[in-house]
Amino acid sequence: MINSTKKWLLMKSSGIVLVPLTIWFILNFVSIYDNDYQEVLLFFSSQPYKFLFSIFIIIAFFHSALTISEIFEDYVENETIKNVANKLLYLFAIIIPLLTLVILFNL
Amino acid sequence: MNEKNPISPHIQIYNWHISSLVSIVHRITGVINITLITIICFLVMFLMLGPNNYSLINIFFNSIFGKFVIIFITWSFSFQILSEVRHFFWDLGYGFELKTSNLTGVFVIVGSFLTTLLIYFIGRFFI
Repeated sequence: MINSTKKWLLMKSSGIVLVPLTIWFILNFVSIYDNDYQEVLLFFSSQPYKFLFSIFIIIAFFHSALTISEIFEDYVENETIKNVANKLLYLFAIIIPLLTLVILFNL
Repeated sequence: MNEKNPISPHIQIYNWHISSLVSIVHRITGVINITLITIICFLVMFLMLGPNNYSLINIFFNSIFGKFVIIFITWSFSFQILSEVRHFFWDLGYGFELKTSNLTGVFVIVGSFLTTLLIYFIGRFFI
């Protein structure tokens, strides 16, 4: 299988997995966003919310990195700038969820 | 020497249709959503700093502007969900006819607002 096909399949499968996870997250976030500190902390630090939120952000950043790199592919003409932008994007998509997970599992 | 990547025709040269509108909003909401998820990740990190520091966020979310932001987040996610489902049917080979494509495009636009109301209502009153 060629790399572009692999990328397309990963993009599509992560997009579909994100649909129920996004519905779950937004429904719950709408229900707690204006609560006080203890209730918001309880949401993010108790199971199964902690596990589902972790999966949600890992897949969301993975999917975003793949799809935003397609936007770079469509609109960035200079190959060097495109490659640097892609590397920064992938770095961002690893560091932010990783840092969040470390903090989440120490709450 | 810099290599040139062949780029897509810029969006400004197209006549606007339902499909192009949904396509560009799909990309814009995708970028907005990952920005919002990043902000939510920072919110989780902020929880580590304790209740005193969190009170600022609490005041923001309880303000009119905070509620407006939450409704906007809900709409942006709703649009992305419906548009993603539309893309999924295309990937399975359905919905390419012009009439169907226009109809599903309108469904995504109108449906995103209805889904926003539905999610907000269920989230506030049933969870």
